[in-house]
Amino acid sequence: MSTETERGLSHNKSDFDFHGRSLDNIFDEYQDILANGPVGHSNKYGGFWYITKSEDIFNAEQDPDTFAVGPSMLLPAFGTDVPLIPIDIDPPAHADFRKILLPMFTPMNISKLTPGMRETAQQLCQEVLTAGDVVDVSAKLARPMPTIIFSRLAGYPEQDWPIFDRWIDEIIYERTAHPETAYAAGRELNDYFDRLLDEREKAGPGADASNDLITQLLKAEVKGRKLTREELLSYCYLLFLAGLDTTAWAIRSALWYLAGNPQAQQQLREDPDLIPTAAEEFLRTLSPVQAMARTAKKDTVVRGQEIKAGERVVLVFGAGNRDPEVYEEPNDIKIDREDNRHLAFGGGIHRCLGSNLGRAEMVIAMEEFLKAVPHFERANDDEPWHGVGPLTLKIGA
Amino acid sequence: MGELLVDGGRCQGHARCWALAPETFEIDEEGYAHVIPGRENSGDEPNVRKAIRNCPERAILERETNEASEKASEVSAS
Repeated sequence: MSTETERGLSHNKSDFDFHGRSLDNIFDEYQDILANGPVGHSNKYGGFWYITKSEDIFNAEQDPDTFAVGPSMLLPAFGTDVPLIPIDIDPPAHADFRKILLPMFTPMNISKLTPGMRETAQQLCQEVLTAGDVVDVSAKLARPMPTIIFSRLAGYPEQDWPIFDRWIDEIIYERTAHPETAYAAGRELNDYFDRLLDEREKAGPGADASNDLITQLLKAEVKGRKLTREELLSYCYLLFLAGLDTTAWAIRSALWYLAGNPQAQQQLREDPDLIPTAAEEFLRTLSPVQAMARTAKKDTVVRGQEIKAGERVVLVFGAGNRDPEVYEEPNDIKIDREDNRHLAFGGGIHRCLGSNLGRAEMVIAMEEFLKAVPHFERANDDEPWHGVGPLTLKIGA
Repeated sequence: MGELLVDGGRCQGHARCWALAPETFEIDEEGYAHVIPGRENSGDEPNVRKAIRNCPERAILERETNEASEKASEVSAS
């Protein structure tokens, strides 16, 4: 056993976790792990190796033959054991599935949506202003904005939107403590899309010339054939969870930071051109996706540590994003940081398909909120930086 | 300084180059980046340097033009 391996294991964190309350102090944990044992083994969730250095994460993502996404990129699972398309699919099948929706998420296509996004953000910000002096901006802006924007893009009928938050809370946020709740909600979500697909197929193509994501999936062909119902359901299930939750967290965490930093708030108000740069810094330091899982397909070695075929591996993007070898003063949030090659959207063949949409929503939400709300600060210091729970702000104080 | 190109095998469509240096990079219909024809020699410009340093896939390369070598090498991030 090499010296490096011994040193790594002597600082091993066998209870390392990246969900729920573990996130409260996870940045201190990252700093310790990065300095003293950047590859280690946790006993949580059936056991996994964690990889925290930016370079090691990058290399793993570029090597899907060694670090496969099957059986699931999610650890623990997202309320279902069905492999989700395209994130739980490995090459060679992966590329055909991913290609179906790529054109919908190009920056040019997303920019066509920005007038609608801005209007939605403005309306929600007005509702924040009329809601009183103390307002939960998670419930009033961070969560509804992606729900409205993504639902319109995807083709989810407006009368269904009120139920969406509960499915997300139960599938994503209850899955660690109450997996049975997550699986029950997962069955509801699957049944919902089964009904929606029935209705859409019955309506037939071109009835309202709609060009939403569900229409694209129904029209799509993979190797000369249409997608099966199982494949359509899997794709719909993934898009729903990916499209609504991550963006809500990203908007909420940006507002959380700005509420605690009046100077940064003022700087962005005076220089709104800096908002896209600030958004990258919030994505680097407060990202909604702190880690994603892989499975070793063959024996491999990372930073001197042997990993055996079949073992689960977690790429800790949130730690890599604070790697002192890559970023100057990695734990400082600098809203004008220019060199910011971060891992918030992952990399390689599984790079977040919606990254251009997520960025646009985040930037527009910040622009409109800073324009509409003259000054805001946190009203409850117990509310954590992470998640999509309440963010109570004192408005116009 | 050589000729700029985007390695199509590495680019995954993050579009950071297009956001930071739209005068040099364009995005195709599937979302992948390319150097705009005629802009292959803009590698010295500050926006392009920034795009190179921020490409998550390290996909923006520079091909030596004065050597017989056709092999592209990654542009230094510094």
